[in-house]
Order: sequence, then structure tokens, then C-alpha cells
Amino acid sequence: MSGADNAIEVRDLFVGNGDLTAVQGVSFTIPAGGRMGLVGESGSGKSMTALGIMGLLPAGWHVRGSVRHDGVDLVGQSDRQMSKRRGRTISMVFQDPLSALDPVRRVGRQVTSILRRHLDLSAAEAERQALDLFAQINLPEPARILRAYPHELSGGQRQRIMIAMALACYPQLIIADEPTTALDVTVQKQVLRILDAAVRERGSALLMITHNLPIIAAICDSVAVMYAGRIVEAGPVAQVFRTPRHRYTQGLLRSQPTMDNISFDAGARLPAIPGMVPPLTDLPPGCPFHPRCAAASALCRTRMPPFEGAPHGAACWHPADGAGEAP
Amino acid sequence: MRWLNASLLVGLVLTLAAISVALLSLVWLPYHPNIPNIPERMLPPGAPGHPLGTDTLGRDIVAQLMVGARTSMLVGAGGATISLTLGTLLGLWAAATGRMTDEAISRLADIMLSIPGMVTALVLAATLGSGMWTTILALSAFFTPSFIRVSRSAALAVLQEDFVTAARLYGRGRLFVLARHVLPNIAGVLIVQFTLYFAAGILTEAGLSYLGVGMSRPGISWGLMLNEAQNTVGVSSPLALWPGLAIVVVVLGLNLLGDGLRDVLDPKLARRAA
Amino acid sequence: MALYIFRRLAFFLGALVASSVAIFLLIRAAGGNVAAIVLGRDASPDAIDALATEYGLDRPLAVQYLDWIGGMLSGDLGRSFRTNESVTDLVTSRLEVSIPLALMGLTLGLLIAIPAGIFAARNAGRPSGAFVGLLSQVGIAVPVFWAGILLSLLFGVHLGWLPTGGWTPWSVDPVQALRSLVLPVLSLGTILGAVMTRYVRSAVLDVMNQDYVRTARASGMTASQALLQVGLRNAALPIVTVIGLQMAELIGGTVIIEMVFSLPGLARMILANVAAREVIVVQSTVMLIIVFVIFVNFLIDMAYALLDPRTRRGR
Repeated sequence: MSGADNAIEVRDLFVGNGDLTAVQGVSFTIPAGGRMGLVGESGSGKSMTALGIMGLLPAGWHVRGSVRHDGVDLVGQSDRQMSKRRGRTISMVFQDPLSALDPVRRVGRQVTSILRRHLDLSAAEAERQALDLFAQINLPEPARILRAYPHELSGGQRQRIMIAMALACYPQLIIADEPTTALDVTVQKQVLRILDAAVRERGSALLMITHNLPIIAAICDSVAVMYAGRIVEAGPVAQVFRTPRHRYTQGLLRSQPTMDNISFDAGARLPAIPGMVPPLTDLPPGCPFHPRCAAASALCRTRMPPFEGAPHGAACWHPADGAGEAP
Repeated sequence: MRWLNASLLVGLVLTLAAISVALLSLVWLPYHPNIPNIPERMLPPGAPGHPLGTDTLGRDIVAQLMVGARTSMLVGAGGATISLTLGTLLGLWAAATGRMTDEAISRLADIMLSIPGMVTALVLAATLGSGMWTTILALSAFFTPSFIRVSRSAALAVLQEDFVTAARLYGRGRLFVLARHVLPNIAGVLIVQFTLYFAAGILTEAGLSYLGVGMSRPGISWGLMLNEAQNTVGVSSPLALWPGLAIVVVVLGLNLLGDGLRDVLDPKLARRAA
Repeated sequence: MALYIFRRLAFFLGALVASSVAIFLLIRAAGGNVAAIVLGRDASPDAIDALATEYGLDRPLAVQYLDWIGGMLSGDLGRSFRTNESVTDLVTSRLEVSIPLALMGLTLGLLIAIPAGIFAARNAGRPSGAFVGLLSQVGIAVPVFWAGILLSLLFGVHLGWLPTGGWTPWSVDPVQALRSLVLPVLSLGTILGAVMTRYVRSAVLDVMNQDYVRTARASGMTASQALLQVGLRNAALPIVTVIGLQMAELIGGTVIIEMVFSLPGLARMILANVAAREVIVVQSTVMLIIVFVIFVNFLIDMAYALLDPRTRRGR
């Protein structure tokens, strides 16, 4: 497969800070226009994967591996070279739109400055395009919002501004890091629908980072499950969710509330995965999931399982293959 | 050792050294710091028996610096202690009582903060006469508003914590909550603040004494020594060197100590670093 | 916005009233019988009474206070007991020294602190950043008057390049006047700069870690552009606040530096009048300085409202 067909090809990505390695050899490919979900608990390394791809890691963090995008390897690009791509061929929507928007600049300026920087538009032309963008993402009174400051908007409006900023230059890939987690439940679905439609319209690829499995089921076509800095299972959404091979994925799926397991009995509880995510500084030997895994064997305690199987693969010595085997 | 950072270590060493010198001056001095000894006047540093030389009246510089350390420690610690006590009481009062009291105390602190201290000290010295107690009083007046602000905002933060609410629901009185829960939790912030204002007090005292409205003979202060030295700097610059160096070393030591303590005691910074 | 301005204005006026009462009481009540002090130990009771009547010192304190404030509001700052000069004249002749000294000192301080603070923040955790931080720590520990003494020793006494004291009025020889201010401004500005570097550093460090700076980079700015275009605009808020907090420090530094370089500014006038028990002169001059500081702080509050859209909505 040639690189030009893909929005992004990540190979053996490591992200770390000193002795701490938050991402340990992550690989995945998103074809042009494809949509991949990246799931995992907090601390599993999914945000660090995104920031590593974007070259936006906090001071002291470094990245290793290769990230093929638009014919180049993003790893090792200078900040200046990366700045020409960020917001143009690859862009990102952050979790908390209130803190992610500049509090002292009007949101219109924040959107138009991207258009002017990357597309070399005049001020008037940039403003016209910004108004178009606002209309596309269903912002009421776009002319008024253009002159508003972030604190004058609602959470949902702010996140739609962030989406507008990410979409403005028709990027090949949009990374959305928990884009609805900080929002009121009532507007989450609306914002998600707008993001989905706008991405589809532009033909951009999407990397959706979330711990919310239904979101992935609704808008992604493939999914990768991260645990302790590694991808433990990946494949087409339908297959992974219907027949999960890794015990961790099974646990995640079972701990999601669905119409089947919602109960109003006081004593009823959702099944949880026993134990806790191990701290990155203190990973157990072998498979990092083995202390919490019902199927763990001696092998699991000593050797890291390789990631095997395509298109639906898992990193497990004893994958749950066959529909009947899921315990 | 995680708690021992470089600031803390250097600051602690310098501060302890200054305190030791001040204590030593109470029991031992190489010479009398005030009695003139004209035959030995204006000796350069390194003169036999006078490692740092003597001043225009033949008084030993080392002896004067040692008494100066005592003055700095007394005035700095005195000013910082009074304002710590007063400021914390007022700050806790503001934080724990109703809106009106809080507003009154806070605005009063704001007003006091906007009055330039040096000018007010001049006025105080003019009306009360100069001297150590006036200086300590003036320092307490400048520093109290800062302690009010710091203790108030720290206490407000603690009062919103769940365990305080729990203690209140449990029926604990307001004073009990303040003494048992709030004070221990803001102590770290206050200790850091105390160290920094200890240093600021030493700087201010030196300035006032330099202006001639702080300490005067027979009292000795590093600022006073600099004042006297300036009349003779053309002749002997070392006289203007030693007291200034002493101030820098002690103030630097206390500020480093404060910074080091903040890194150790401030849970917010510690959390950010983790 | 209107509510915010109203609140700051109310605080401004309240601060003026409170501080004027405090100064008045401090000087009048703590000072004892003013007329007797002015005239000295040997004065006859009649002479004391006469002076007291002439200056209205025998009236109730409240009346005297209102009289004084009324005078201040109409531009009459009172007169000296001994020379009968008007305080307004006394003060204005001193301002040609004090104001340029304070302003140039503050400017130099900012010229040092802003680049040094940004540099220290951007290089935090590296030796170069730590070095600037250490320099600033040492500068904070140096008393401003000692810096003045050292500079005058070096450039005045040893090298003989610049005057170490004295003053030539601007009207006589502006170049000489400027030369007289070089060392004072250098001492004042360097120490203020060291103090403010710390604040600028922590303001910039704080801003650098904000999500919106990351957003600016995510939308195509280099790290430097994001810091300079987005970060500094936000860091301006705390930095402006620091200038307000440094006003008291600036006045104190100006007072003491005037003494180091024997400049005939406001400070020397106050000190001389304190020694001569010229109550009215001291009281009015000190009040003028306080009015100035409180006014600058008010202006800074207003600047804050312009810089931060969040305060404009009457927060």
C-alpha cells in the first residue's frame, strides 16, 4: 500500500519523558477519509499518541518511531516545518473548549487567523469564509458570534468554534481528543453530529479519541483499544465490538451501560474490570493486563504477547476466538 | 531526597549562619562595636587583629557587622512575626465570618497595600521618633495586609473542602474548625510568607537606617553602617562593601529558603511537578 | 463594564478618604502640640497661642481635617510655618527631579524585566534559564541604595565618568541634568528590573502551559509565534498588575536613591521638613504621593478592563 493512499501511517510510536514511556510502540493506519476510534481508560496513552503525532508534546517529552503523513515523516520535522502542516493538513480538536480558546481574542479572529495564515486570504475573504464555516456548523447568528469572546458563548458553541478552526483548511486528518467529554450531556450528541457531518463533507480522515464506546460505534469504521501505552486490539468496529478477542476489550464492552443491563435496583451494578490500570512507572512483567485478566497463564506473566491477526488483531496469548468463548 | 532541593539547602545554610552570628554577638564580640579607637582608625581589611579593618573612628568592622546581624534578625523576625500573627487573625476572621466583615477587612488591606511604605515610615519616624521599636512597628504595618490577603484566600480554599463541611455538619464550632482544620492546612503557605517578609523586613530596616530614620548609635545596623560609610567612600571603599554584602547574603538566604520551602510545602506546585 | 468601573471608582475614592484620615491622624494626633514643637522649647505661651491661632491649629481636629482636604481639593496645599512658602511651589520645584527619576527607573526596570523574564521562562529547566533566575534572586537581595553606592563608587569615584551627586536644573543645562540622573536611574532600574523579572517569568511560565497556547500551535503557529502573539497578550494582565504592586516599591526606591545621590527631589524635601516639624508640608506632600500611587492603581484597573474582555462584563 503506498503512503499517498493513507491519511496517516503510524509505525512503532514511542512517546516518553525520561524514564517514563507513555506510548510503547503504537502502530496503526487510517486510509484517506477513514475514521478510526482510539479507546482506553485515562492514562492509557491515547492523548499522548495524539500530541506526539501533532508534535505538541509538553516540554521534556520526546517521540520516537515514524508517522507518515502527506508524503513525509512527521517525526523529526522541525517546529517550523510542522507549523505549516498543523491546522492545514492535520488538525486537532481539544477536550475543553473553554481553556483551549484564547480568552482575550474574539473567536472570529481566532478562526480567520488560521485561514489567513495557511490560505493567504485577505481579511475580508477570511471573514466571509469564517461566516460560511459558522453556518455549516449550525451556529446561530454567525455575525454576532464572530465578534464574541469565548466566555460569552456556551460550551457547545465554543466546541463548535474549535471544530470550525480544525476544519477551516480542509485537512486530510482531524484528531478529536475527547471532543464532547467536557460538554453538557444535552449538547454532546448535537456537537458530535455536527463534527461527523462536517468531516464527512470534507472527506477528511478522523481519529476519534474517547473512552465512550457508543460514540465510536456510531461514527467510526475501525477501532483500536489501548491499554498501558499499547494497542491491545484493533480492527473493524463491527468485528471488534461483536467478537472482542482481548479480555480487556471484553471487559470494557461489558462495563458500558446499555438498554439491556441498565437496572434501577439499588443493589445492581455494572460489571467492572477488577483491579486498576497499573502506573506507567510500575508496569508488571509480561502482558500488562495479566493481573486483571481471568484467563492469565504463566506465559502471560513473563512474556509480552505480540500483536497478531488482520484485519482484526489482538495482543493476547489466549485470545477469545469464536463467539462462544467469551466468558 | 525529594524534599531537599538546592534552594532549600543553600537558603538554610545561609540563614542558620546569620542566626548563629547574631546569637554569638550576644556572648562574644572581638571588640566593643561603639567605643572609638582613634590610633587604629581606617585600617584596611587584613590588618592584624582586624580582619575586615576599622572605620573612621577605629571601631572594628567585624564587631559592628555581628551586632548588625543581631539588629537585622530582631527587626526582621519581629516585624514578620507581628504581621504574621495579626494578619492571620484578621485573615481568618475575614474568611470565616459574614460578607460584611470580609469586605471591610479585605478593602482595608487593599488600601493599606496601596500606601507606599517607605514614605509612611518617614512620617512614623518623625512622629514617634526613630529606633528599633518604631521600625518594627512600621514593618508590621506594611506587612500585615499581605498576610491578611494570603491567609484569607488560603483559608477560604480550605473552608470549601469537603472535610471541613463534614466537620461543620458534625456540629464542630467555628473556632474549633479554624484551629483544628484550617490553620494546620494553611501553615505551609504562612511559613513561606513569613520567610519572604523576614527578608523584606531586613531590606526595609537597612533602608530606613540608611536614611537616618531607623537605628542610630549606640544601636548598630548594616544600613546605618552604609550611611556612615558613604561619607567616606572616596577614602575607603571597603567600608561600603561589607555591610552591603552582609545584607545581600542574608536576604538571599532567606528568599532561597522561602522558595525552597514553597516547593516542599505547596501541594499545588508539588502536584504540578508530579 | 459600567459596574466594574463604578466599583473601582468607589474603591479609589474610599482609599483616598481612608488614607487621608490615617495620615492626618498619624501626624496631628501622634505629633503633640504642633505650634509648641515648631517654635521650640523657649517659646512663650503667647507666641505659641498666636501661631496656633494664625494657622487654625486651635480648632477641633475634624474642622482642621476638613479645612485641609478642602484646600487640597481647590489646589491649596497649605504653607510652611517658617518660610511661609506655599507647599505647591515647594513641591513643583522638586518634581523636575523626582518624576524623571521615577519614570526612567520604572522604564528601565521594565526594559530589563520583560525580556529577561520571557527568556527565563522559555529556558526554564535549562542552565541559561536558571542563571537568569539566580541573577534576579541576587538582584532582589541587593538593597537599592547599596547598588547606588557601588555604582557611584565605580563610575563616579574610580572612573570619574559621571557625577556621584548634586543637581543642575534642566533649565540651566539639560545635558548635565541628564548626566546627574544616569547613575540614579541605573541603580533604581536594575533593582526594580530584578524584582519584576521574577513576576514576568512566572506570568509567562503560567501562560505557556495554558491550553490556548497549545491551540495556537495546533492551528499553525510555531512555538515562538504562539508565545509572542497569544501568550504575551495574556501574560500582559498579570504583568500590568505587577506594575501596580511595584508602585510603592518604586516610590520607596526613588526616595532612597535621591538621598544616595543627594538629588534635591521630593524625598529630601520631606526628610528636611520632617526634621523641622513642618507638619503641614509633610502632611500635604505625603498625601500627594499617596494620591499619585492610588491613582496609578486606578488607571491600572482601567487598563485591566481594556485588556481583559472578561472584566468588561461586570464580573
